[in-house]
Amino acid sequence: MKVKDILSSNTFELITDKSGLNNKIIGIFASDLLSHVMGNASESNILITVLSNINVLGVASLLDLSCVIFSHNIKVNDEIVNKANELNIPLLKTKLPTVETILILSKMGI
Amino acid sequence: MESYSREFKIQKNDIGNAGTVASLTKRELKRRGLTRDFVKTVTIGIYEAEINVVIHSYGGYCVVKINDDIVDVIFQDIGPGIECIDSALTPGFSTASHYAIENGFGAGMGLPNIQSVSDEMKLTSSKEGTRLHMKFNIDGDCYES
Repeated sequence: MKVKDILSSNTFELITDKSGLNNKIIGIFASDLLSHVMGNASESNILITVLSNINVLGVASLLDLSCVIFSHNIKVNDEIVNKANELNIPLLKTKLPTVETILILSKMGI
Repeated sequence: MESYSREFKIQKNDIGNAGTVASLTKRELKRRGLTRDFVKTVTIGIYEAEINVVIHSYGGYCVVKINDDIVDVIFQDIGPGIECIDSALTPGFSTASHYAIENGFGAGMGLPNIQSVSDEMKLTSSKEGTRLHMKFNIDGDCYES
């Protein structure tokens, strides 16, 4: 499963450019505390969070996460989107709460 | 392989640049052919320590040294020091500011994470500053085959 495969569902809106869409997805991690993400997420995980700040990208880059999904329709500012484009980290948005996002991704087979 | 040594300055509350030491060290470890697991372990330790200096201290510096046997990392700041080291090492204990929490930090997992990923960790602290010394041993299994 790749990042581009989950975009076909219309549940997720891609807010970065098209780089990183071929990143492989292995598993899901959801948290709003970066130390928990840093200590527990694995390479190629999707990160689901409501934490919309630049440090999310630092952690995503250090752990080689596949993409970041912002749940609950969280506002993501341009600084974050631009930095994500620079780092080739796909950012996705959804109106769904975190738990429903996980359930949908799980149904897709992740 | 030749040994590597680099010093980094870390500014108080410079959250936008937090992760630079971890990111550049990660790049060097990958260049040296170390496994993804080993690189991740060291990256976690350095990132957490870097964040600690940014969000808790008045600023400081970090020295990263790498040779064939060890990754040796020292973080030194200029205060205000950790009041109770035992508490700081307890998972979930945090003295983080609102500013740090708003930025996703302050879970109280920084030092416990560092302790669990490093092979050796020494932490000393006074009002004049905190010094964190961590070591990650490199053995044959740490290299990509």
